[in-house]
Amino acid sequence: MGGSSNTNTSSGGKDKDKDDERGSRSTKEASFKEGEKVLAYHGPLLYEAKVQKSENKEDEWRYHVHYLGWSKSWDEWVTNDRLLKLTDENIRKQQELEKSQVVDKSVKSGRAAQHKPKGSNDAKTDKEDTKILVKGKKRKGQPGGTEEKERKSSESLFMSHFPSTLKKQLVDDWEFVTQLGKLVKLPRSPTVDDILKKYLEHRTKKDNKINDSYAEILKGLRCYFDKALPAMLLYKKEHHQYSEEVKGDVSPSTIYGAEHLLRLFVKLPELLASVNMEEDALNKLQQKLLDILKFLQKNQSSFFLSAYDGGSKGTDGIKTK
Amino acid sequence: MEAAADEEQEGISAQSPAQAPPSSASSLPKEQSQVELELRVLQALEFYPPSKLKGIHRHFVLYGLMEYLRNSLDRQFSADEVLQLLDRFFNLEMLKPEDDEKDNFTQGEEFSLPESFFNKDE
Repeated sequence: MGGSSNTNTSSGGKDKDKDDERGSRSTKEASFKEGEKVLAYHGPLLYEAKVQKSENKEDEWRYHVHYLGWSKSWDEWVTNDRLLKLTDENIRKQQELEKSQVVDKSVKSGRAAQHKPKGSNDAKTDKEDTKILVKGKKRKGQPGGTEEKERKSSESLFMSHFPSTLKKQLVDDWEFVTQLGKLVKLPRSPTVDDILKKYLEHRTKKDNKINDSYAEILKGLRCYFDKALPAMLLYKKEHHQYSEEVKGDVSPSTIYGAEHLLRLFVKLPELLASVNMEEDALNKLQQKLLDILKFLQKNQSSFFLSAYDGGSKGTDGIKTK
Repeated sequence: MEAAADEEQEGISAQSPAQAPPSSASSLPKEQSQVELELRVLQALEFYPPSKLKGIHRHFVLYGLMEYLRNSLDRQFSADEVLQLLDRFFNLEMLKPEDDEKDNFTQGEEFSLPESFFNKDE
């Protein structure tokens, strides 16, 4: 862009050239390019965004950004001070900001929670825990208002609590299927259905009573899994296998196992967004979902495959029975 | 003896719903709490419209309702209780699932892992 030896290096060409050689505000190139992925501040946190347009108004650059994963209604014009380059260093900063949000709250409520004996007044201790996940007051639904922002923060908090060994499991899964052309051998054992039942048993034993909330959530997960599997949980290379293994009335939760269940968890924030849950309930729900993930993690070696079938680049890795 | 009996009665009627045994919707002591219960249910529906009780999100919508009632009335509600309560206001069987749900699921988009999963943790 600035190949010439002129002192005036403003590019973009839409603005009037100004002769201000001090260049405190003018004569600068746009720091971010159109189409560039960046990190943008929205409130106290950083979010991945994309620069759609750049404009120089009165010698100041502004950028129209779209937040990745958010609806277009959030797109806005921002100035340089709201943006950071998408580098490893800045991504770390993004994670740190998220963590410090969590820590602030847990330091406050952690102390109180410790003094409460287990099992007493469940409703109260749950409320303390709730604060750990999300700050902010309860607000009634305003279209495109603060409620959605808070939901977005709590979504990314959910993802940041995703157990790291399970993240690695998903990366290995990705590699097996998309890079090495392998497939999960079906039908699996334990199946998604088995795993969810085991979790409910585990929970019932631990709490010493039947927990209605968990029961409902697990039903919900099974329901989601059966619908979502063919629609958004498969890699392209797995579609052929799906049509072979899941025929007629068969539900995917009786065929597939932990590998694909884990993928559902990645999609959960997106799916749950349609429910438009109240903040408190959503936080409680996310805590319970994280507990299920921890259960998967605890049983990682028995629930998950360490090796997949096949090895050709195509989809013909299906073994004949 | 009679005095003691009177006192006992007073004690019972002074109990708030919060002290009622859990999961016993049939033993609501007073009309007042009945009204409050119904009021809370109607309030809850502002967040959780009954139309969503038929679609794919129904279990989570029901969960939301259970939580809402638990928070506002300070006692545990079972899924069945909530459904019974709703039944007083709506004919749940007649509900049709929302149509826009189908769009979410028929699209067949390929699964993709978010970038952040590929970054190494510290």
